[in-house]
Amino acid sequence: MCPESESMATVQLKNIKKVYPFISGEQKKNKKKADEPEKKKVNLQITDEGVVAVQAFDLDIADKEFIVLVGPSGCGKSTTLRMVAGLEEISGGQLIIDGKVMNDVAPKDRDIAMVFQNYALYPHMTVYENMAFSLKLRKEPKDVIDKKVREAAEILDITQYLERKPKALSGGQRQRVAIGRAIVRDPKVMLMDEPLSNLDAKLRNEMRAEIIKLRQRINTTFMYVTHDQTEAMTLGDRIVIMKDGYIQQIGTPQEVFDHPANLFVAGFIGMPVMNFFDAELKRDGKKYFVEVGGYRTELDAEKEARLAAHDVQSQPITLGVRPEHTDVADAGISAKVEVAEMMGSSVHLHVNAGGRDVIIIVPTIDMKGNYKLGDTVHFTFGGRVAHVFSKETDKNLEF
Amino acid sequence: MKKVPEPAAAGGGSSKMHNTLVYIRQHWQLYVLFMLPAFLLTIIFRYIPMGGIAIAFTEYNPIRGIFGSEWVGFEHFQRFLSSPDFMRYLMNTLKLSVFGLLWGFPAPILLAFLLNRIMSAKTKQKIQLVLYMPNFISVIVLCGIVRILLSPTGLVNSLLGTSTNFMTMPSAFRTIYIASGIWQGAGWASIIYTAALSNASKELKEAAVIDGANIIQQIKAVEWPAIKDTVLIQFIMSVGNIMSVGFEKAYALQTDLNLNASEIISTYVYKKGLLDGDYGFSTAVGLFNTVINVILLISMNALVKKMNEGKGI
Ligand SMILES: Nc1ncnc2c1ncn2[C@@H]1O[C@H](COP(=O)(O)OP(=O)(O)OP(=O)(O)O)[C@@H](O)[C@H]1O
Ligand SMILES: [Mg+2]
Repeated sequence: MCPESESMATVQLKNIKKVYPFISGEQKKNKKKADEPEKKKVNLQITDEGVVAVQAFDLDIADKEFIVLVGPSGCGKSTTLRMVAGLEEISGGQLIIDGKVMNDVAPKDRDIAMVFQNYALYPHMTVYENMAFSLKLRKEPKDVIDKKVREAAEILDITQYLERKPKALSGGQRQRVAIGRAIVRDPKVMLMDEPLSNLDAKLRNEMRAEIIKLRQRINTTFMYVTHDQTEAMTLGDRIVIMKDGYIQQIGTPQEVFDHPANLFVAGFIGMPVMNFFDAELKRDGKKYFVEVGGYRTELDAEKEARLAAHDVQSQPITLGVRPEHTDVADAGISAKVEVAEMMGSSVHLHVNAGGRDVIIIVPTIDMKGNYKLGDTVHFTFGGRVAHVFSKETDKNLEF
Repeated sequence: MKKVPEPAAAGGGSSKMHNTLVYIRQHWQLYVLFMLPAFLLTIIFRYIPMGGIAIAFTEYNPIRGIFGSEWVGFEHFQRFLSSPDFMRYLMNTLKLSVFGLLWGFPAPILLAFLLNRIMSAKTKQKIQLVLYMPNFISVIVLCGIVRILLSPTGLVNSLLGTSTNFMTMPSAFRTIYIASGIWQGAGWASIIYTAALSNASKELKEAAVIDGANIIQQIKAVEWPAIKDTVLIQFIMSVGNIMSVGFEKAYALQTDLNLNASEIISTYVYKKGLLDGDYGFSTAVGLFNTVINVILLISMNALVKKMNEGKGI
């Protein structure tokens, strides 16, 4: 890597759209399904041309940024990534890598590399050959190939397996080889589609840490697809949360956690899931209060400023509070205990408050005695952790 | 082979084999029950008729039976091998089958590669249907079609603006025979390869695309490894049939004028045995054919084994 050849690997997606055309005969079936009242998990828009898997996708990725696409199954994450890779035709919009429009450029000329969920290693080639394959096709000199492969193998700690065939490796080792194959190409953009979802939980945690380390060693732009929010939160500089082909929110892990743009993001990010209440937002000049079940608290200054900036008025809202942000108190919202789950350092109380199921996390050291089924507890929350969503649009009123 | 090794004789290396044998011994009644019908059928219909090859060593007379006929030893073989036509028949047979294998064997594989690249499943199905159809035409009807197409007033001549009688040209016989065979059989034969190709992972192909492989390199890196074993098995089986060129088709495409290329061992056997009634001689020629076949099969399997890291049939 000579310095002058090191260019800025920015990626811009401008109003990207993907329509999968109907296979003849499928159209009618789908139309019928759309009329059915039952609520489906995936609600992609269906037009005359076909199923719209991704639309209005706008994203500017900075040089060396780590972007994670996350969302429920079928929301269009892979489709987006495959459009960037060039494996899927782009139906509309512009893809710009490093300042050049790439819509119609062949995958090999986009200067990208991709890691697949099922490793996609050539079974009849050794690990070494697998990693060297793309360089060989590019007709790089043998000694350069050898150097690059050995370097990558060193980084990934697979040097001792270089002469083995993929079937003689474990899942984790195979995925390392797949990553190695990608990094020998020294790509401008590294694309990864759920690279860890075939591994067991322990290995997944290890590999996640590996990827963070890897990122520090090979300075490049990453686009990473996952449906696992832990991966998204720990790996991403910024997270793109998608649903039904649309972007829901783009932001740093902290931003999407602290200021979810809508109910979907609020419910998707965070474990256990955020509690929702029917509540009232009350405006008093520059001050905002939320009222729920007889409990009233003032929002913190930052939130008040954001709401005031949008001139939000008093209105009924959906209030969101994360389980870890609720506190058991002597007074406050009253609820009936249904289940108490002992998790070690804390207890997860599943309670019923005004007809809504609510989870309260109580640190074990704060506990006063045991909770039993049917006990009445009271809980409160602070103004900094209350999220206010419009009843009509489900959007966060701060935005 | 009745050699069942004693438990003590089975060493560590073949302990799996040993376990299997112990298991079979425990349940031997079951195995006998299952194998008996197949065993009997094979004996009755495959081995007993083999006694018929004794005919090859007699001056066979159907009325006096095999053992009533005069025993002549290898006389028929001598007669056939020393006849001036022997070399011609043998070469005709070998050329027809070897060239048939050379051209006919890769055709369905190439076809499968092409079919595999058709994106739309619907179009693929339609094309496959069209390609399969000739397989269901009987050989005799096919030869009729070929004769009509190639006749001096047929479609081919009217397209070329000539009036060549292809059926009378010895030099055209093999081309006609092999090309029509490919037309009839390649579509059907490609099924097994298409099936094997569907095992080639889509992800792997995409990885190859991203690695920068062109179509030929993709086939080499992804698709060929997926069907290699199937191809080898098919190849060994085809080689096994190399000398058993179907008699009907050669006979149906024969004319008096192209005999020079079209007379092969099996048509000769038919003519000698059934038309001339020279049973002993024709059986001897047929037996000769089979023996060559077996030799070819065994040596080809050995060769393939060597090429393919010990994997043959
Ligand atoms: N070839 C195709 N033809 C028609 N529809 C397709 C095709 N490929 C994908 N889709 C649809 O597009 C939508 C998005 O698919 P995509 O693979 O991008 O989902 P995803 O977000 O990666 O989901 P997962 O987490 O399950 O991998 C899905 O609803 C899927 O049904
Ligand atoms: Mg996916």
